[in-house]
Amino acid sequence: MIADVSTIVARGMGIRRSGRWLLRPAAFGIAGGVIGLAGPSGVGKSTLLATFATLRRPHVGALDVLGYDIGNATDLRSVRARIGYLPARFSWAANLTAREFVAYAAYYKRMPAASVDAVLERMELTEVASIELGLLPADVRLRAGLAATCVHEPDLVLLDEPLTGLDDQRTAELVPLIRSLAPAVLLTATDPGWCDRVLTLSRGRLAEPETVFAAALRPYSIPMPCQQARVPAHA
Amino acid sequence: MHELGRVLRLDARRTTILVAVPVLALLGVAAAWRELIPGVAYWDNTVVAVSASVRLLGPVAAALSAWVAVREHRLDYLRSLTPRSPATGPLVDLLLLGGVALLAYGLVALTIIIQTVLRAGTWELPPAGLLAGAAALALHVVLGYLAGRLIPNPLTVVAVAAATRLWDTLRCTGSSWLGLLPPAAIGQVGPFAALRPGLFADQLLWSAGLSSALVLGYVLVVSRQGRLAVPLAAAVALTAAATVRLHDYGGAAVVPAAAGYVCRDWPLTVCVHPALQGALPDLEAAATPLAARLAGTEGGFTRVFQLPGGDPVAVRAGVAWTHLRDLAPGYEQRAAREIRAGLADPDACTRPTPGRAYSALVDAWLTDEPSPAVPDAAAGRRFARWSEQRRRGWLRAHYPGYRQCALTPADFPR
Repeated sequence: MIADVSTIVARGMGIRRSGRWLLRPAAFGIAGGVIGLAGPSGVGKSTLLATFATLRRPHVGALDVLGYDIGNATDLRSVRARIGYLPARFSWAANLTAREFVAYAAYYKRMPAASVDAVLERMELTEVASIELGLLPADVRLRAGLAATCVHEPDLVLLDEPLTGLDDQRTAELVPLIRSLAPAVLLTATDPGWCDRVLTLSRGRLAEPETVFAAALRPYSIPMPCQQARVPAHA
Repeated sequence: MHELGRVLRLDARRTTILVAVPVLALLGVAAAWRELIPGVAYWDNTVVAVSASVRLLGPVAAALSAWVAVREHRLDYLRSLTPRSPATGPLVDLLLLGGVALLAYGLVALTIIIQTVLRAGTWELPPAGLLAGAAALALHVVLGYLAGRLIPNPLTVVAVAAATRLWDTLRCTGSSWLGLLPPAAIGQVGPFAALRPGLFADQLLWSAGLSSALVLGYVLVVSRQGRLAVPLAAAVALTAAATVRLHDYGGAAVVPAAAGYVCRDWPLTVCVHPALQGALPDLEAAATPLAARLAGTEGGFTRVFQLPGGDPVAVRAGVAWTHLRDLAPGYEQRAAREIRAGLADPDACTRPTPGRAYSALVDAWLTDEPSPAVPDAAAGRRFARWSEQRRRGWLRAHYPGYRQCALTPADFPR
């Protein structure tokens, strides 16, 4: 049985692309906490993340996110207001300043100007808020991306390869920030060992390998409710 | 509105879309300029020229819109995850693209209108014509953007450009009622012609209705708001009604228009359409020698009138007619040659007779052109040696032979 409190609940959900199953029809639930999604390159992690973000529709099955059925138009609009999603490449606005970028996001999240200042301060971007994104170092640009993603304080944050290309020091600085973004954070990463749970996507199946489960970077954890990332029951 | 304005400004900066304005404007001015009648300031044709600029501007604007739509798909992660309508992002894009295209169109219109005002010195602009062009341009923007939105592939940009260009160029002037669908293939509207009343209004309704239907249909699909079905049905009905009305024109965009003449009375009376008033002095100067040489013959004339329509010109009862379709450099010589051509008997002179060459010799003299070669070179040399007075006297005696292309070497005595 899948817990009703799960952030993401899939029932017989399958995702196809170019004639092959990226995710074979399966039922699973993902609760809160920081969940890492690992797997070989090109296996479909980004597509799965975009599906959880409601930007793609599953090929088969049903998907509930934050208790809403994304197949229902009213529910879809409601749940989208509570999701933050940052794709791998988001630097589409190199000529905007960090503040303008976040303010632009705030318009679409229907948030007041005060929330822009608040999230900039939370992401420690106040001093660089007037600098264009293209001039910022990668880690600071990522902070700006996270600020735009979380300006509306979402309940679920989905991040696609957020730490790729950053050195260990920058990664270590950002991990606590990522952990604090929302009650549920699901991210793809090459080495997601610091996450509370790690799921792997391989050959169309989502699994929770026991070997990765005991994360070596556990000290980065912040107090969270007990997570229930369930081993999928494939249909 | 304040927030929307801020987002539009950010989008304009982010996409640097404003650089397209001067490019579009230059293209539009070039396209409109081709439709102007050289040297003639005629408001009906001015507004047709501005409207016709959309036939080039439209496909470019559509391709630009498709490109923006394809590119802006990467923003879905930010703009689709919103408590606002899911159509907000695309509608903001359309607002920006429409603004850019219409700004360029405004510059085109301003340029052409200023040119006409400076030349005509009057203001008789039919605003519906400008609005019809603007609506057709907006329709191109909507079509291009929605195509790029629905099929986010770079090839869509090429396909949109090709399809809209084909639509705009394959419909020929006056061939069918399809040519009146925006952007219409009307062609130049010359003096003594006028656009059919209501044509631009119907085109405006057609473009606005179709654009509205497309946008409403898109918003209805992405937002699933059933209440939009009513305005959508209204937009479709409006488009259908405008289509029927345009169909009823039968492909004819212009009708003959009565107009008074402006004249110059000395030494000849020369009368033209008011839009060509500036041509009177040169036309007078070019026609006077011809009239002097023809004086005393059946082709003599003391009045020159501009002939409406495409009827063949002729010289009758002392009146010479000329079409004078434009005032491009050399128009006065062309008018004189046209009057001269009207002297000849068309039935007799179309046959390949030897006399045609001798009539051509006289033609060249009448309009001060180099003499052509004639079969009997001696006759040609004799004619060349004659004084002006002798030639005029000779023509009075041999005019019937000249008119019938029946001259022979014997008609050029020593």
